[in-house]
Amino acid sequence: MTILSICAHGFVYCPILVVLIYNLFNHEFARKHFIWFAGAGATWQILTSAAGFFVLHQSGQNGYAFGALWDPGLPGSAYFELSGPRFLLLLIVGLVAFVSVLVAHHTVDFNRSSYTNLLMILVLGMNGMLLVTDLFSLYVFMEVTGLCCFIMIAMFRSRADLEGSFKYLILSELSSIFILTAVAFLMMKTGSLRYTDLAGLGSRISAGSGRLEDVLFYAALVLLISGFAIKTGVVPFHSWLPDAYQSADTAVSILLSGAVNKVAGVYGLIVVMELFGDVAPVGKSLAAVGIVSIIIGALLAVRQPHYKRVVAYSSVSQMGYILLALSTGTTLGLVAALAHIFSHTAFKSTLFTNAAALQEQAGTLELQDLGGLENQMPVTAFTSIIAFLSTAGIPPTAGFWSKILIILALWQAGSPVLAAVALIAGILSSAYLIRLQRTVFFGQTRPELAGVKEAHGSVLTAEILLTVITLGLGLLYPYILMLLHAGGIL
Amino acid sequence: MVLLICVGTPLLGAFLLPALGHWSEKARRWGSLLMVLTALVCAVISTVDLLSGRTDAVKILLPLGLSMGFRMDALAAFMALTSCTVSTVIVIYSFGYMKEYAHLNEYYLMITFFIGAMMGLVMSTSLLEIYIFWEFSSFCCWRLIGFYRDPVSIRRADKAFMVTVFGALVMLVGFAGIYGATGTFDLDALRGSQIPGWTVGLMLVGILSKSATFPLHNWLPDAGVAPSPVTSLLHAAVLVKIGVFAYARLIVLTFSIPQIYTVVVPVIAAVSALISAGCALMATDIKRVVAYSTISQLAFILLGLSSGSRIGFAGGMLYILAHSIAKAGLFLCCGIVEHNLHTKDMNKMGGLARTMPKTAVAFALCALSVMGIPPFSGYFAKYLVISGEVDAGHPVIAAVFILGAVLTILYLVRLFAKVFLGPCRNPESHEGNNQMVASVLTLAVLSLLLGFLIFLPSGLITLAMEAM
Repeated sequence: MTILSICAHGFVYCPILVVLIYNLFNHEFARKHFIWFAGAGATWQILTSAAGFFVLHQSGQNGYAFGALWDPGLPGSAYFELSGPRFLLLLIVGLVAFVSVLVAHHTVDFNRSSYTNLLMILVLGMNGMLLVTDLFSLYVFMEVTGLCCFIMIAMFRSRADLEGSFKYLILSELSSIFILTAVAFLMMKTGSLRYTDLAGLGSRISAGSGRLEDVLFYAALVLLISGFAIKTGVVPFHSWLPDAYQSADTAVSILLSGAVNKVAGVYGLIVVMELFGDVAPVGKSLAAVGIVSIIIGALLAVRQPHYKRVVAYSSVSQMGYILLALSTGTTLGLVAALAHIFSHTAFKSTLFTNAAALQEQAGTLELQDLGGLENQMPVTAFTSIIAFLSTAGIPPTAGFWSKILIILALWQAGSPVLAAVALIAGILSSAYLIRLQRTVFFGQTRPELAGVKEAHGSVLTAEILLTVITLGLGLLYPYILMLLHAGGIL
Repeated sequence: MVLLICVGTPLLGAFLLPALGHWSEKARRWGSLLMVLTALVCAVISTVDLLSGRTDAVKILLPLGLSMGFRMDALAAFMALTSCTVSTVIVIYSFGYMKEYAHLNEYYLMITFFIGAMMGLVMSTSLLEIYIFWEFSSFCCWRLIGFYRDPVSIRRADKAFMVTVFGALVMLVGFAGIYGATGTFDLDALRGSQIPGWTVGLMLVGILSKSATFPLHNWLPDAGVAPSPVTSLLHAAVLVKIGVFAYARLIVLTFSIPQIYTVVVPVIAAVSALISAGCALMATDIKRVVAYSTISQLAFILLGLSSGSRIGFAGGMLYILAHSIAKAGLFLCCGIVEHNLHTKDMNKMGGLARTMPKTAVAFALCALSVMGIPPFSGYFAKYLVISGEVDAGHPVIAAVFILGAVLTILYLVRLFAKVFLGPCRNPESHEGNNQMVASVLTLAVLSLLLGFLIFLPSGLITLAMEAM
């Protein structure tokens, strides 16, 4: 067993193992100590993804293939594969799960056991999506992910929860149907769903031939993109997202915005782009959806009355930036997209953690009831400012660098107008977040909030941890760029 | 190394100040002053190097045509010295002014951090770096304008932030356009390169928004709700000079631009000068009068830099120096008055020369410098700017600016007369405390002295002109 193979198998077995061990204990003990089990699972994922990346990089290989219980070398067998970008996404999954556990320690009370079990299965589902090498397995793991999400949103049994969950269920099923149909069409065309067999298929199809199978191929592409776009929550498929984020418990909102819509949505689009990026309309449609999302999402965010809804619409807008970067189809574009995924994970999780802190301390997230909390909650206020700067792409934060990379990628790919619009739209991000600052933190304290205290314990830890990541990464980016350059990627 | 200390001490050291503040009020103040003084000393050392023929520089190259570095050339040295000197005086002034307020930790942090950002900005060697420090300064501006935390301050802080960030983003699009055309952000590599006309236009939006020039001037008068040392530091002496500095650094010294801009920019400046002078004549809030005056004087600076003639450029630079000192002095005097009377409405004031004679003298001296009365430093600057524009072959624009100069005299005399002369309407008012009065007198004396010692900055200005 090499280190790499331990890391690799851990991504599949560790979540299952945690669930098995966790359920051996009696209910009361499990409820009380859930943070250790779920935290251990998340920590393991963070450590192994970092270690695995390092080992793979040292070995000089591009990827590492492995089977779950079988030999990946057997002809026709499905197998998992690890590569650089996937390690980054696995790291994000681990990080988000970790932060979610820290927040859940405060926000989740009597559902802790279910939360822990579902979280681990959710992590398994996302890991599976990232590791598989064929479209059908991707679909299967996506369903696992989706299923966990429905339950986690609805688990807290208020009326609003059910509405958010129901919307997500309906739209998510629609996306499943789209993707399954697309998979069927592609299967008809090629007889295999492996990425290696599907790659380059586009170049063998001529758009104007009018043959049924070519038409079906294009239909499959449309369905795939729409399906994953629903999961990503970009305009015009965004309607589920604010409701789901608002009604879910904050620990679950963090999972949804930080990991689920990136893995189930954006990663799907990355796969589509890798397989069919040579078909010109794929990139163009991603760019169109992206730019519309950036603008509409930000405009909608400006008027929202609820903290989590502002942050949710901000997600819609930021996902647009990621799609825009992907649409270039270049290496720089992919690097920029991954960079922005990571920045977004850090700053959006910070904003949601702040939401948890506000909910716990001030008891509400309605913007009209909040105001001037920076005196009572200095750490929360400071971390939210850093997250705000990162979202708006203002230096010295991680978000600034990833946005700059996106702009450079677009410019190099020959779409300066898109780059310019995306940049100027940054002012809208500033607008909705500066409004958030004004209504929540900056200003005189409302008399009824005078007794509010700073968040404490694990929520405070999560805020500080994420802010350190955002700021530290922002300061280290020149170094990271040099590393990427030395690695021959840029 | 000197440059890294010069930028790093205030920029990073600022974050120690809140910790010092928990320990002792005094340590925080002196810590802040010490950091600013360190920057000043480093700038002086580096300038001495420069005048003896050595240019201090550090730089690392990054992939994708990015780079990071600092270099002290004549323009940078000139700006660094000007801003550090004024900042030092203003920090001392705030010892007296900012005693009784909450959020002092944030105040000293932001002031010191801003000065570090300013040092970084003037020594930047790449477009992206300029943008980074530019946004730092916007951020400081936002927090500091909202210092009092009342709803009006917050709204205006947001407005200033949004306007300047919008300008900066548009400018960044311009930078990206330059990157698209040349493949690099590095100023050394870009020197002398021909760039597309539209990128100049976009950069101009950023410059106008930061230097509060028509049509993006609106946020500056509103920013007067901030504490007076803030208004003085950010909105008169240092921050608003960032825009004109960027003009000098990028458009004059680095790129060669389409000819049309040597007419367009002076015309914008002329409009800005007249409109704001008119507003200054109408306003009754003393800080608004001085703020409008700032907008008007910034137009003179922009005119000098954009005239395309060497005399005009030298005049513009000298103007930056003269105006920083004199206008900082004016705002600080307003601060003393406001602190004392708890109002900014000049109709409620009168005869203050009797109760606050030293402030009145300082105000008068600074005002004379801003008006451009010989032998004050402001006179030389104004003369050079206007004669530069005549040299460049635009006598009509020059004439408009002479009108602007006359208006300057009018509104400043009006302000002085209403506040300090006439029957005493505020008999209970008294002089500000020692630190405050000493600061304004220092600035007043400096603006007078500079008039006599006008040869002192000319070494640097000649060096900068040679780089044109």
